[in-house]
Amino acid sequence: MNVDFGMLYHSFGNIFTLNVMFLIVVGVTGGIVVGALPGLTATMGVALLIPLTFGRPPVASLSMLMGIYTGAMYGGAISAILIRTPGTPAAAATILEGYPMCKKGMAGSAMAMSLFSSFIGGIIGCAIMIFMSPLISGFALEFGPVEYFALAIFGLSVIISVSGRSLVKGMMVGFFGLLLSSMGLDPISGYPRFTFGFSELMEGPNFIPTLIGLFAVSEVIANIEKMLKTEKVKAKLNQYLPSWSEIKRSTGALIKGSLLGTVIGSIPGAGGDIAAFVAYAETKRSSKTPELFGTGMVEGVAATEAANNSCQGGAMIPLLSLGVPGDAVTAVLLGAFVIQGLQPGPLLYKDHMDLVYAIFAAMIVAQFVMQFVGMVGMRFFAKVILIENAILMPMILVLSMIGSYAMRGNVFDVGLTIVFGIIGFLMQKYDFPLSPILLALILGPMAESNLRRALVISGGHASILFSRPIAIVLMVLAVTFLVLSIFTHNKIEKRLAELAVKDDDMTLT
Amino acid sequence: MRKKIVFMVSLLAIFGLVTSVFGQKKPDFPRKSVTVICPWSAGGGTDVLLRALSKETEKFLGQSITVVNNTGGGGGIGHAAIMNANPDGYTVGMITFELNSLPPQGLIPFTYKDYDPLMRINADPPALTVKKDSPFNNVKDFIAYAKTHPSEIAIGNSGPGSVWHIAAGLMAQQTGVKVKYVPYDGAAPAVTSLVGGHIQAVSVSVAEVRAQVDAGNLKILGVMDNKRDPLYPNVPTFKEQGIDVTFYTWRGLALPKKVNPAIKAILSDAFKKAFDSQEFQAFAKKVGLNLAYQNDKDFAKFLETNAKDVEAVMKTLGLTKK
Repeated sequence: MNVDFGMLYHSFGNIFTLNVMFLIVVGVTGGIVVGALPGLTATMGVALLIPLTFGRPPVASLSMLMGIYTGAMYGGAISAILIRTPGTPAAAATILEGYPMCKKGMAGSAMAMSLFSSFIGGIIGCAIMIFMSPLISGFALEFGPVEYFALAIFGLSVIISVSGRSLVKGMMVGFFGLLLSSMGLDPISGYPRFTFGFSELMEGPNFIPTLIGLFAVSEVIANIEKMLKTEKVKAKLNQYLPSWSEIKRSTGALIKGSLLGTVIGSIPGAGGDIAAFVAYAETKRSSKTPELFGTGMVEGVAATEAANNSCQGGAMIPLLSLGVPGDAVTAVLLGAFVIQGLQPGPLLYKDHMDLVYAIFAAMIVAQFVMQFVGMVGMRFFAKVILIENAILMPMILVLSMIGSYAMRGNVFDVGLTIVFGIIGFLMQKYDFPLSPILLALILGPMAESNLRRALVISGGHASILFSRPIAIVLMVLAVTFLVLSIFTHNKIEKRLAELAVKDDDMTLT
Repeated sequence: MRKKIVFMVSLLAIFGLVTSVFGQKKPDFPRKSVTVICPWSAGGGTDVLLRALSKETEKFLGQSITVVNNTGGGGGIGHAAIMNANPDGYTVGMITFELNSLPPQGLIPFTYKDYDPLMRINADPPALTVKKDSPFNNVKDFIAYAKTHPSEIAIGNSGPGSVWHIAAGLMAQQTGVKVKYVPYDGAAPAVTSLVGGHIQAVSVSVAEVRAQVDAGNLKILGVMDNKRDPLYPNVPTFKEQGIDVTFYTWRGLALPKKVNPAIKAILSDAFKKAFDSQEFQAFAKKVGLNLAYQNDKDFAKFLETNAKDVEAVMKTLGLTKK
């Protein structure tokens, strides 16, 4: 496809009207809030606002929805960094470096980088969407059950990178997560497994309440335990943009994160959560100082946020060019298009090219609006960490309970959140990493259902798993990544041992 | 004497007051906003339909309507919430096909009998859809091939025990062929997998394949309805092709049992007016819904026969508990 720059230029004209700009600003602001609140996701934000678009012209309504989508993808990082609560699943990986930075008193820097990398990721994602849609959309269709299974295995190979010091503990947690992910209805036969008679567990432990429990509630419990002992770290909140040296340090992470995010986002069913973890692991692996990851590295925040925001552009590729949603949000957007009387897919490009370009323009404008609104909002959001723990922790707890309830309107999920809060607290107390559970919960069902589907299609012959080139490439990558990660892990252990020896020497002399 | 008069007058006054309260033909309803329970998540097909209908109904009810998504348990949780709601008329719910497919699987302990049906909204038939370049051009070709090549064709559907899984099973049962059923996590991924050529057919609704059919990637071989789809008048029904199968997924409104009939009448009147409104009809046309209104009595009868049919097919598919 040749990009019609004249038309693109014109569509910016359609966007830069008072009405549409207003809707984008409202959408982005609302999106940031929805994203930052645990339990309210981008999907829900878009879904709840669709009725407002009934009877409005397509450009205006779709622009507003794109604004919410953009804002929410960034908003998740705010609560991830400040209160260790991933506002959206895609922000779960941002906790890994963002929260330690906040604890070190670098919240301002982490916030600035998360916004900036979201912006860069968003712009790169849009650019790839505009210029390379046809190329990538064909790739998305190549993904059948076998490829998804291989992709899930590739994603699981990341577990080592997020395991922390002990590989054994990381593996234990990973397998515990896989066991949890096997709860609920069997994906092929529909038989209920490990539901203990609760119909609420028929789809397994709901992801968002589990996430909130493991991270937010466990942190609240941990803080209550040491509330009287620790003093608050004084944080500097005077930063709107990352410093030049931080950007220079993170250039690689930004580019890798954005490219990985766009490609993974464009595969239907694989979204920002997977992309962020993969980008994080890759940034850690290729870093010169992998041993410092987990202590608050700005590159880590850059990689994860660039990845989950570039996913937006990626997920729009199959939606616009094939009519196939790339993630949960675009699935809801598909409905919004249809209500407007538009059918995304090849025909949209043929019959409504002007609208496609208007969406491109709206998405780009939304990225700039997000950077701006984010900068304005930062002073307010960041005030959170100035609140006394004795007041903040109960607030987080209440917010967590509301968030886990809001997802499905079910009190059962509140109980689930508390149970996982206790599990998370105990795990951390005994130095078990939490992230492998998340990876397992995201990728376990994907691996299982697609393996089973592939075997149904092949009539039970496992040879189908090695019959497809993309799948083989992904599996080879998974093994390579696994081996490299083990090397990196050994390197980290060696360096930390050297550091420990040095420290001992220092204390001796 | 005076005391007696005062007594009589007050008695009369009280009597009058009481009769004016209880004797009123129309109850004062609704006096606050009405909640509608959706057993499926926000943004899905059921949710979008319900929100569109509720938005129109507000005008006729004179009160706002809040749609609440009580999801999970394959729809079972929302259905239970409707059944257990306070029967004061302020909670209405949307019931869907799964109310008849979950009980045979032993996944919910209640049935359609535990509701007071209000009206049926839509009934969408499945379609047998294949890739555009597939060698099959009609259902007969497809079935003939499947007969000579048992367990070779893989048909995708929207989930184990889902309506479209049952639809494919019904087709196979009626024609005596053996096919492979591949459940996906919803209809959209199944359709995508078909476009990518990973499976040979899908048995989902016309609305769900429409985008890819219009784009020239897929073709519909037949619909399991007793009339042709208005969007694709060239596509014959299964019946026309010699296979007597009709099947539908359906959605409707229902109340918990024991709602005052007068209140039920007000609700049913308002929802029906909204259903007939130009705005809702236009909406349904855009999203490709097959509107199929039935009043409470017909809907109740329909639910009964549908439950029996569904259970029978599920038994042959090995999807029932026993």
